[in-house]
Amino acid sequence: MSWAQFAWVAGLCAVTMFVSRVAPLFLLKGRALPPRLSRALNAIPPAAFAALVANDLFDMRLLQATDWRAFIPWLAAAPVALVALKTRSLLWCIVAGVGCYGALLAIPA
Amino acid sequence: MSKRAFYTALPVMAGYFVLGVPCGILGAHAGMSAAQMALMSALFYSGAGQYLIANMWLAGAPIASIVLSVSLVNGRQMLYAAAMARFCGGVGKRLTTLFAATITDESFGVNLARFASGEAWSVREATLVNLFSQSAWIVANVVGAALGAVLPVPTVLASFAMTSIFICLLCIQRFDRSARNGALAAAVGVCLCKLAGFAGPAILVGALVGVVAAMLTPKGEAS
Repeated sequence: MSWAQFAWVAGLCAVTMFVSRVAPLFLLKGRALPPRLSRALNAIPPAAFAALVANDLFDMRLLQATDWRAFIPWLAAAPVALVALKTRSLLWCIVAGVGCYGALLAIPA
Repeated sequence: MSKRAFYTALPVMAGYFVLGVPCGILGAHAGMSAAQMALMSALFYSGAGQYLIANMWLAGAPIASIVLSVSLVNGRQMLYAAAMARFCGGVGKRLTTLFAATITDESFGVNLARFASGEAWSVREATLVNLFSQSAWIVANVVGAALGAVLPVPTVLASFAMTSIFICLLCIQRFDRSARNGALAAAVGVCLCKLAGFAGPAILVGALVGVVAAMLTPKGEAS
């Protein structure tokens, strides 16, 4: 990634992140969120994370897959979900996910 | 004061070190140098966001799509800022800005627990917790970027660390009927986008479809 490309990506992301983090705090000092806005904000996390998970797991190559190894991400995702529900820990989820993925990759075809 | 803040931040710092190294490795695979990773961690400072940037860049997504997707994913930060507003009365603008600009999922949780505990906990101490945590994140990213440049770590493994984070963050949401519909619609939206050949904006479109679906779900049907 060149410095020019980096400046665009990191710069724009940093600006939107700064606004997301700082603006509400100054706008809402001592005031409550409007109910409709509050509902919209609450709707973002489940929708955004579901979109991200679906994007990572749904690969177009799955539609023509003949080898079980194409489903390794799905097989590794299941234990991660269990660990997440049990521990709610990002750390343990990474350990479980990367561990399972690595172990499945190591199985000979 | 700073000692108390340091001990409060310590578990977050340990976690960030472990999460930050694979993030740095993935960033190196996406072509970012250790200096770029350090700069991004200092200015942008978002675990999920930085993983997403590297992964979308590796997938060849356009810059506009990366920025919009990352911004939407980080929209949840508004909730944290809104929740912290009540503790910032009478605090100076500079300190309030620094505090707000360095809030993350984890430091929000730790600081909120401290504020809610009833014991004396100031915005200054909360900001120190944020900064200690951010320091650990920056160091871990730089270490990861340096390792990624010399170690042949498979990209799929570093990338699946990010998928694991997203699965965890999805699973720990509070799912009422509205959130369930939103998540389902978002996932379907992503799949349909990809099937239609629009893989680039799939995350953004899917997430927006999910938010709309959640908003359209009638209220008072929590389960």
